[in-house]
Amino acid sequence: MNRPKPPLSILVVEDELIISMDIEMMIEDAGHRVMATAASLKAVAALPVETKPDVALVDMQLAQGSTGLEVNDEIRKRWPGTIVVFVTANPKKIPEDFAGAHGVIAKPFSSAGFVAALRYLEEGVCDPPPVSPEPGSFVASPAFGAHWG
Amino acid sequence: MDDRDDWTLTEALHHEQGRGDPFAAAVRSTRMSMIITDPTRPDNPIIFANDAFQRLTGYDRDELIGRNCRFLQGSQTDPETVGRIREAVEAGTDIAVDILNYRKDGTSFWNALYLSPVRDDAGTIQFFFASQLDVTDRIDVQSRMAREKARVETEVTRRVAELRDSLDAQRLLLHEVDHRVKNNMTMIGSILRLQLREAQDSETVDLLRAMMTRIDALATVHRHLYQSEDVTRFDIGSYTVNLASDLTQSRSDCDIRIRADLGRAEVPAGQASAIGLIVNEILSHMIRPTDFGGARVFDISSRVSRGRVELGIRFGRDARDGSAKHPALPRYSPSGVTEQIISRLAAQTRTSVSWTQGPSGSIEVTVIVDTEVS
Repeated sequence: MNRPKPPLSILVVEDELIISMDIEMMIEDAGHRVMATAASLKAVAALPVETKPDVALVDMQLAQGSTGLEVNDEIRKRWPGTIVVFVTANPKKIPEDFAGAHGVIAKPFSSAGFVAALRYLEEGVCDPPPVSPEPGSFVASPAFGAHWG
Repeated sequence: MDDRDDWTLTEALHHEQGRGDPFAAAVRSTRMSMIITDPTRPDNPIIFANDAFQRLTGYDRDELIGRNCRFLQGSQTDPETVGRIREAVEAGTDIAVDILNYRKDGTSFWNALYLSPVRDDAGTIQFFFASQLDVTDRIDVQSRMAREKARVETEVTRRVAELRDSLDAQRLLLHEVDHRVKNNMTMIGSILRLQLREAQDSETVDLLRAMMTRIDALATVHRHLYQSEDVTRFDIGSYTVNLASDLTQSRSDCDIRIRADLGRAEVPAGQASAIGLIVNEILSHMIRPTDFGGARVFDISSRVSRGRVELGIRFGRDARDGSAKHPALPRYSPSGVTEQIISRLAAQTRTSVSWTQGPSGSIEVTVIVDTEVS
């Protein structure tokens, strides 16, 4: 399997632009690249298909009435290899199988929690299985473990 | 004379006069309504009806004899019941059934009908015997009770639906408020982090970082609460481990392990934020020195003992690290805002916080929450 190497290219889908900016900066502080930001399903669909993100961080409740689940479907259709992680205040809205997505970071997140989740993600994506223990801020789905295969 | 006319014959006889069949006389004069029909004639007509039957139905004998019983049925008579009687007659079996019948004047009554075949020695059906009892009162009570029961059930169903609707509406509202609280807390964290990036001097950075840590601790409390099974209870053991792991992971300059020995240790949700902040101040204060060198370990334990929730946090040298060269930890004495937050929130939540300095520079804090209602 052709695994991505750090820095990871990350898509941020979040409709609160302050939070979106904060997430971008934490990603860059952790040494990764923000490929693009989007606030709605439409904005994700408008992204060029040729540039594939390694990881997408997706809020559940998005602009223009769209949801993270719809964005997840869209991403999995366009970029089947992309790791999708929900970042949401409503983890209970995520179906049990995560709709095929790879994990969740619950809001409100702490700085350390978010950074730890990013580190765990990087290990799981670039050089699995992760050497760090799964941080309390991140819950992996069955699909994430399968991805290490 | 056809012996089937015996019934008509006995009509004229009187038992008291010593003539005729005493059984026939008894049937004629009983208060129980009775008829006899003849299935060997076309359409199984009535060939005998006693006085009680005439009183019950309002018909005279000459209006009854020779007719099939179906003229007693009316618009509200249940066709299914009629069908069951017909089947019994065809099968030659007896049947007991309640049927709605009509009098000559058009009024209805509930008839507890009993019908049975009368066979000769060869087993061939000669007659059908039927008795009738007016059970309108009983059936009325039954149907009134059934109607009342149905009405109550409808009402209960309606009110349950109303309650469910209002509960759904409340749940939706609660969900919306909860979502906004979480989003606002996330937003506060984001704004602080953005501000922190702009800070120039180290004093401002330290201040903002301390602020950030406290907001993060509150966010962690909130997340623990809503992600737990029971939103009214808050487990301080697992929270402390979570927070300690957050704090140590944000410190790339030192090697800190966490060991946990957690028993169930829950405090009421109303005290969660206060106690969560106390724990944050303790942990932050413990790992604040930047130059302690060598591997360190957090030992976190929690339990409930005699109605008190006890949390133990020990921070010391990691035994895995064989070298004894790294310096002992400095003495701890929280001051300023840290001291104020701990002492005030402790008083508010009937919590005691005691610091013990260990011999090899380790530090141990015991937090005891009195959860018994005084």
